[in-house]
Amino acid sequence: MKHVIHSIKDDTLLFNIVKYLVLALIFLFLLFPLYWVLVTAFKTNMEAYMVPPTFFPKDFTVDSFVKLFTVNNQFFIYYKNNLIVSAAVALICCAVSVFSGYSLARFKHRWSRWVFALLLASQMFPIISRMISLYSILGKLGIINSLGGLILAILAAQVPFCIILMSSFFSGIPLEIEEAAYVDGANKSTILFRIVVPLVKSGLLAVGIYAFLMTWDDYLHAATLIQNDARRTLSVGIALRYLGELSYDWSLVNTISIVGTVPVVLIFFFFQKYMIKGLVAGAVKG
Amino acid sequence: MKNQMLSRKHSETLFYVLLDIPALLLVIAFIIIPIFDSIVKSFMAYGVRNIISGTPGVWNDFKNYLYIFKLDVFSMATVNTFAFVIGVVLVQFVLAILLALTLNTDIKGARFMRSIMMTPWVVPTVISALIWMWIFQPQYGLLKYLVGVISGSRITDFAILNNPTTALSGVGIAALWKQIPLMTLLFLAGLQNVPQDIMEAAMIDGAGKFRRFFSIILPYLSPVIKVSVSMSIIENFKQFPLFWTMTGGGPNNSTTTLAVLSYREAFVRNDLGSGAAVTTLWMVMMIVVVFMYNRVYRTREVV
Repeated sequence: MKHVIHSIKDDTLLFNIVKYLVLALIFLFLLFPLYWVLVTAFKTNMEAYMVPPTFFPKDFTVDSFVKLFTVNNQFFIYYKNNLIVSAAVALICCAVSVFSGYSLARFKHRWSRWVFALLLASQMFPIISRMISLYSILGKLGIINSLGGLILAILAAQVPFCIILMSSFFSGIPLEIEEAAYVDGANKSTILFRIVVPLVKSGLLAVGIYAFLMTWDDYLHAATLIQNDARRTLSVGIALRYLGELSYDWSLVNTISIVGTVPVVLIFFFFQKYMIKGLVAGAVKG
Repeated sequence: MKNQMLSRKHSETLFYVLLDIPALLLVIAFIIIPIFDSIVKSFMAYGVRNIISGTPGVWNDFKNYLYIFKLDVFSMATVNTFAFVIGVVLVQFVLAILLALTLNTDIKGARFMRSIMMTPWVVPTVISALIWMWIFQPQYGLLKYLVGVISGSRITDFAILNNPTTALSGVGIAALWKQIPLMTLLFLAGLQNVPQDIMEAAMIDGAGKFRRFFSIILPYLSPVIKVSVSMSIIENFKQFPLFWTMTGGGPNNSTTTLAVLSYREAFVRNDLGSGAAVTTLWMVMMIVVVFMYNRVYRTREVV
């Protein structure tokens, strides 16, 4: 018996050392850069450029944050635009994903297979390829250089994955619930919006947050479709305004990195439970 | 009675099709039509002037393609794209599987580590580029300092992004940093499908760690590996903001990929026709790669 137990726990000392070393190294790689940005932002510019670098700020200062809020407040216009676009895409994406996700999960017909194939394929095309033509199409429609046009263009890019994600949540709802309501004479749309949608609230949350995070990250749509500085979004604004010159103000850049990341990190960790379940479901189904 | 059933069935079909209308309108108007339109434009002389004056492009006898093929940088961009995709996907796969396997054991704090691990995935791409540019910074960067210390002050000018031989790896590191978390998360989910009783039986029969990994874990993980690796291939094939922010394609075009080249042609040189020719070739390559990947995966599964 002892022999069996021994063979189940066959982790040798060497194996354990290697295991923890691998774990520590990968975690160092993933987390240290974040720590490094954080400490640099709280250093004075002098200290940030010191060789050898200090691993903890000697003169802890919030100067660069104050500077960002007072001198470089153009940043907050980009920030506000990014918030508007991300929130709008997330909300509309939820609605569209509920409609098509339900249809995809319940409608067993050749039609659904075509829609599914179309959604899968449309995730593959590079954004630049679309932008070459959207640039002139949106120009003709008169919605180039507007947040509305930007929202529609990004929305189309997020919708395919979100629908597939949403349909995997709908598939998890037992059909019997709907059939019972059907027998009672409820029509299809009542069943969907009154009975089924409340059951997939957590899936809806996952879809909304996913769309928000992906839109917050957008660079290419905004870089090509927006030329007016007052309508720029975060990534493009940062790249054009603060990375233009040869030498960057690195304290400012690190501060911007933190302020630009904080909202999405907070949202992600607050709703992590739903997000992780959603990501796994969406990826494995798609 | 039969008629009533039939009409109910019809209205149901109509309901499901109607639900798909918003998504179809969006995808067709903003993805499918633009893609086809860009392929058409790749055969035309089409520049910013056409957009301003509203004149349609003119068929130009494959001039865009001839021009692209004559550019030295096109073959370089193709090689760079493939090198980047293969390098990043391979390293990412190895590191993600190692991390998932260690986090799946009964080590203390695995739950906490699993959640904090995801942070780089949430960081916006342009900001992750900035984070690594600061570490790689040629004068004050942390990496330059560390390389100096490790080499005993023999290498004092280490600037990974400024050297044509290392710049692509520099961008690759930033890509790995952002992408490893998601792949690890998917692998961790896949590891839940590995049946514990089979693992225990194999252990009792004396199968070693490597044997168990290759004969039990890997086959059960296979569907998840297939999906997450193909997602990663597509993502890295399309990568643009990291390159544009970190190197802009330089030095000496050593980080110019097909994404960078097409953007430069279309939106810097303002020749949308040539840009479209690059994206068309790029899409064809991507479709071939994804198709071949699926074929190879299928035959391997049969064996």
